[in-house]
Amino acid sequence: MTAANTDGAAAGDAVATDASTGPDPDEAQRAIEYCYERGWSDGLPLVPVSQPLLDAFLATTDKDSEEIIGALEQVGRDVNVRTAAINAAMAGCKPEYFPVVLAAFEALMRERAARGGGFQSTSGPSPLIVVNGPIRKELGFNTAGGAFGPGFRANATIPRAIGLIVRNAFGIHPHVLEQATQGLPGRWQVCIAENEEESPWEPFAENGGVTGGVSAVSATLTRTMEFVDNRHTPNPEDVLRDFQDTIGRIGSLIFPLTSVALVLCPEHAQMFAAAGMSKADVQNWLIERCGRTGAEFKSKGKAEVARTGFRGEYEGDDAFHKILAGPASIPVIVAGAKNAAISMVVRIFGEWSGTAVPVGEKK
Amino acid sequence: MPNAILDPTGPVSASTTSAAKPAVPRAPRLASLDGKRVSLLINTKQNARPFLEEVGRLLKNRYGVTLTERTKVNFAVPEPEDVIKELVADSDVVITGVGDCGSCSAAAAADGVVLEAAGVPVAAIITDSFIPTADAMAALRGAPGYKYATTAHPVAALTEDKVKERAAQVLDEVVALLIEDSPTVPNPEDEA
Repeated sequence: MTAANTDGAAAGDAVATDASTGPDPDEAQRAIEYCYERGWSDGLPLVPVSQPLLDAFLATTDKDSEEIIGALEQVGRDVNVRTAAINAAMAGCKPEYFPVVLAAFEALMRERAARGGGFQSTSGPSPLIVVNGPIRKELGFNTAGGAFGPGFRANATIPRAIGLIVRNAFGIHPHVLEQATQGLPGRWQVCIAENEEESPWEPFAENGGVTGGVSAVSATLTRTMEFVDNRHTPNPEDVLRDFQDTIGRIGSLIFPLTSVALVLCPEHAQMFAAAGMSKADVQNWLIERCGRTGAEFKSKGKAEVARTGFRGEYEGDDAFHKILAGPASIPVIVAGAKNAAISMVVRIFGEWSGTAVPVGEKK
Repeated sequence: MPNAILDPTGPVSASTTSAAKPAVPRAPRLASLDGKRVSLLINTKQNARPFLEEVGRLLKNRYGVTLTERTKVNFAVPEPEDVIKELVADSDVVITGVGDCGSCSAAAAADGVVLEAAGVPVAAIITDSFIPTADAMAALRGAPGYKYATTAHPVAALTEDKVKERAAQVLDEVVALLIEDSPTVPNPEDEA
């Protein structure tokens, strides 16, 4: 159809820019290919970063550009603010997102599993990033339908920035130090802005210790997720039993205890709240009931999961083995649109540290 | 004058690539394992304990070694300095494993490199699925070409008998890694 023509598009093609004043697509493509050739990309095109763009990122934080913000001792690598900013810019973040990237990275590096071998793991875990507070609106996060993406620049680029930091600054590359067996869909792509407006409960950041409506970020590593579609009953206990069933799936259990994030749609959350349940009530209901008998584990070859503690004894065929240790093992987040009763059970890799990180403000 | 494209790999990457670092020394090999003190550094992965215990038992039968067992503090990362010091004080050789995951295979190689540098010959046992990650970690730690023993993946799902069989199969490779003039493993000094 189109003739190869460096002077412009062939007649009849849609043209978005004025060739004399608009950006030069050929130059942009060369720069993108250069980034691919250097091995910096996660597979998708990167934004090539120049010093003026980096300066715009660094101007959003009070932190010194040389400050070390994370280290992975086992690979002898660390990351400073400047390197994090370059990766955030490459990921497609706007400069004003950078304080959120820094908070998300700090939150993630508080996780024992992330500091340990998480990024190298055969599990291929991915961060779940949760943003709370006014920054959600200020930066244009999606707080409504399609919470897990895609379609929104802030939600999409911030987790990608974290992935690029791990790849480029820590040097964890697939098939080498990164040994994911299958990985998981949505790796480095999940950043939820909680639907505080339609949540009947306190913002998630408060569960992580940041109160007063301050903008904050929480993060943990996860191993995929499964939806619970239950728009079939007016009885909240029925819905809780449906969650119980999904949370108790044996396939994903490898240790005596597990953790899941319950990402409730507004409809489910409001149903529980209308029945007088607080977030803690929902958590405690599930903590008491999620699990299976020893015989059920045994029949799948997983008797060792049904032990008292990590190195304890098998509890017996008839013993009911609970799999959630406490509220930190089942963080509850409200996200998505109020248009169907569909929630998500997200498998946490390791354990959520239970802390949120305030988004740093430029003073 | 157009702007340069900035590098996202950080200021430390150049100094941590294997090429930029002098090779970490490897411990001198032992003349024989007769009567030596062998530490088994067990990484807690499924079947790691019975696997290493069987290797230890066979070494005891063959060479009259004395055995000490130690459990890795965290299978995913290299041992802390104080543990390394104790291992160096307590051991003539260390056998560690089984590296059968992304982080623990790398950690086994890293422990091996550190202990070797401190003068203790090490046989790290890694499943063959994780050769690239063990090699990459050894290179990061300044020991490109670091030698370890391999066994077929997987180990975790093996029956007790099969674990013993595997331990017996890897035994010669383990011994060859620890002593001089090994018949099966070339002396790495020759390749320097």
